[in-house]
Amino acid sequence: MLVSVLEPLIFATIAFYLWGAGGREQTLLYVALGAGLMGMWSATLFGSGGLIQWQRWQRTLELLVAAPPRFLVTALPFTVATASLGLYSVAATLLWGRLLFGVPLAFEHPFLFLLALPATVLALGVLGLVFASTFVFYRHANAFSNLLEYPVWLASGVLVPVSLLPGFVEPLSWALAPTWGVRALRDAAFGGNPLPEIGACLALAVAYLTLAAVAMANFERLARRHATLSLT
Amino acid sequence: MAVIEAEELRRTYRTTTGALRRRTLDVEAVRGVTFAVERGELYGLLGPNGAGKTTIIKVLVTLLLPTAGSARVLGHDVVRDVREVRRRVGFVFGGERGLYERLSGLDNLRYFAELYGVPAREQGRRIAELLDLVGLSGRERERVEGYSRGMRQRLHIARGLMHDPEVLFLDEPTLGLDPVGARELRQTVAGLTEAGKTLLLTTHYMFEADALCDRIAVLSRGRIVAEGTPRALKERVGGGRVIEVEVFGIGEERVDALRAVGGVRSVAVEERGQVQALVVRTDAGVEVTPALLARLAGTTIGRVSYREPTLEDAYVALVEE
Amino acid sequence: MAAARVFLVGGVISYRALFNWIRPLSYATTMLGIPLFQLLFFAYVGRFAGVRDDAFFVVGNAVQATAMGGLYAMTMTVANERFFGTLAPVLATPANRLALFLGRALPVVLNALAVSAVAFAAGLLLLDFSLPAARVPALAAVVLVTATATTGLGLLLGSLGLRVRDVLFASNLVYFGTLLVCGVNVPLDVLPPWLQAVGRALPLTHGVEAARRVAGGEGLGGVDGLLATEAGIGAAYALVAFALFRVFELEGRRRASLETY
Repeated sequence: MLVSVLEPLIFATIAFYLWGAGGREQTLLYVALGAGLMGMWSATLFGSGGLIQWQRWQRTLELLVAAPPRFLVTALPFTVATASLGLYSVAATLLWGRLLFGVPLAFEHPFLFLLALPATVLALGVLGLVFASTFVFYRHANAFSNLLEYPVWLASGVLVPVSLLPGFVEPLSWALAPTWGVRALRDAAFGGNPLPEIGACLALAVAYLTLAAVAMANFERLARRHATLSLT
Repeated sequence: MAVIEAEELRRTYRTTTGALRRRTLDVEAVRGVTFAVERGELYGLLGPNGAGKTTIIKVLVTLLLPTAGSARVLGHDVVRDVREVRRRVGFVFGGERGLYERLSGLDNLRYFAELYGVPAREQGRRIAELLDLVGLSGRERERVEGYSRGMRQRLHIARGLMHDPEVLFLDEPTLGLDPVGARELRQTVAGLTEAGKTLLLTTHYMFEADALCDRIAVLSRGRIVAEGTPRALKERVGGGRVIEVEVFGIGEERVDALRAVGGVRSVAVEERGQVQALVVRTDAGVEVTPALLARLAGTTIGRVSYREPTLEDAYVALVEE
Repeated sequence: MAAARVFLVGGVISYRALFNWIRPLSYATTMLGIPLFQLLFFAYVGRFAGVRDDAFFVVGNAVQATAMGGLYAMTMTVANERFFGTLAPVLATPANRLALFLGRALPVVLNALAVSAVAFAAGLLLLDFSLPAARVPALAAVVLVTATATTGLGLLLGSLGLRVRDVLFASNLVYFGTLLVCGVNVPLDVLPPWLQAVGRALPLTHGVEAARRVAGGEGLGGVDGLLATEAGIGAAYALVAFALFRVFELEGRRRASLETY
């Protein structure tokens, strides 16, 4: 929880100083929102993986998988909850930016902003579920999920526009919830129309859920065959 | 000269309770324990959980400082001559932890061979001997995370013997083992005394202490309440007899009534499924059965049997005193 | 002799035992992958923000990559002892404590050096950064000093980990903190004075500065002051770490606080 707040604050601070040194003060709110989304992504990534890992250490993973409700249904509230921890990081970076760097907190469409937030959380939370399903089988999956922090930050354009990156990144960015989440938040803040992006978040959530269901079923079977549920 | 000597050993733990108003509480785990173990002896510390057995071992292997009193191992003071003691003693704590899970059994042993300064050219032979002794040969290259409890426990013992210590401390070595594993382990332990080692063992299994130990100290709440050979301990409560009466549903006042019968030393109630067993310890040469049965009139009585006191009876009697 | 073996052989075995990501694949992804993506991320952020050139971010992040091993691996290699319950058996051995403690840093430093090399290579291949071969030996020397100094701080965190439960939280904080205050991504003169002061008291700051100068063509002779300061800071942290380790060990015997098993 503290990491999910402190880490984005440090990144936001780095970005504020860099933007300041580069003479781009007018987009500090842009930076603050981006850093907040970075934190939400980290919270989702480490939260959903850590959840399964923690169950392994406590030896409760086997109990949960063996319980009558589908594990997917058991795990979904957890991963959405970890994604919503990312709301702290959004709030913290905005507050931090306001207090220390004088970031103006003026939102063009405050209500749409408040609509965009839960849509983003939901999409990230279901994406977390996809990760959780891989953790059920691969006990070292955390090494990979650790790795996914920076690339997704890059590919979803939270700080740097995707158009600056090599061309192959852009199609990838369309499949990532943070891409649409950060666009929706920025449109709501700067006066665009965030509704299409909010819609994209919800559509991605449905797609992720389907993917997670397929993945979970397969990994559960594999885990039972290879006896990896009880290993820590 | 005794190999292990403890004199008026005391150890107090200070714990704090409460989050806001912190109060410190002194818990006396060991309250003045004196004993001596001779060379080649297998000495047992027997007692219930929390009696102070593990604390005594930790003080003797230099992991804890005594609060008062003194202890020497092979003539070296456990407070001052720390390195001398550590070079010469080995210890094994019961349980599954304390091994490097991600390493093979072999690498676990190799690491401790380095820490105990076993010369490089002797390490290979020494480790092979130990693996053989504890019956892990052939499994040593597997990672410890896949070991069973028994294998872990045997690896612990091999580790404890790595530097060929003259004195070995075993803290509940058969804890959590299945009966076969526990029996094999006891054979290993018995073999060590034949090799001339001095052993100090804690356990709360009576039969284990009875079968293995030359002498036993019974601990209760940080004090030694009795010491001697298993036979002597049995005789202390013995000379008497034990009567077991099966009953079906009996009230506390009835049990108290039985305790009042002349010649009865103690009465304990054990639940055995649907049946309760009254374990009645009596003085020698007194016939109390008619008096007992008279006071049980009106209740359903099952089998009545007589037996010689076991070490367990001695232990229960001592700890309850 | 025994102490030397505890330092060398014992150090390597304990590294394998206690460092979490020892599986080759996990190791590669975590140890090599994260610094690589971190480097790319900040280089692009720098481009977009219009601050400094790629070389600034490549050198900064490639040298900071030593902290991946120096902080995390080192913290775990000491602190995981508690996690496995192996502290009591280890502390009950007569092994030389300084060799036992510092031996754990040796593989960490070598690893950090390799990680940094990979990050530099990535910068050469993927970004606008070039390094004449003649400057490589001097740069390697600078990275070695910096990696050692960072590992000193890692030892301190590891020692703390014997006592504090969530020490990885502290490691995270320090790791991300170095990105901000050590001149890795933000030029020091942009920071407020008190953050600059924090940065100067940490390892990495002087090493990164020296590495930038050496990569820019200056000889080792020109950065010897920076390197001496970096080494001194690292030694100071390592010394405090060892003192703390000894205090915890002695206090553990007195107060039964080592949670011995």
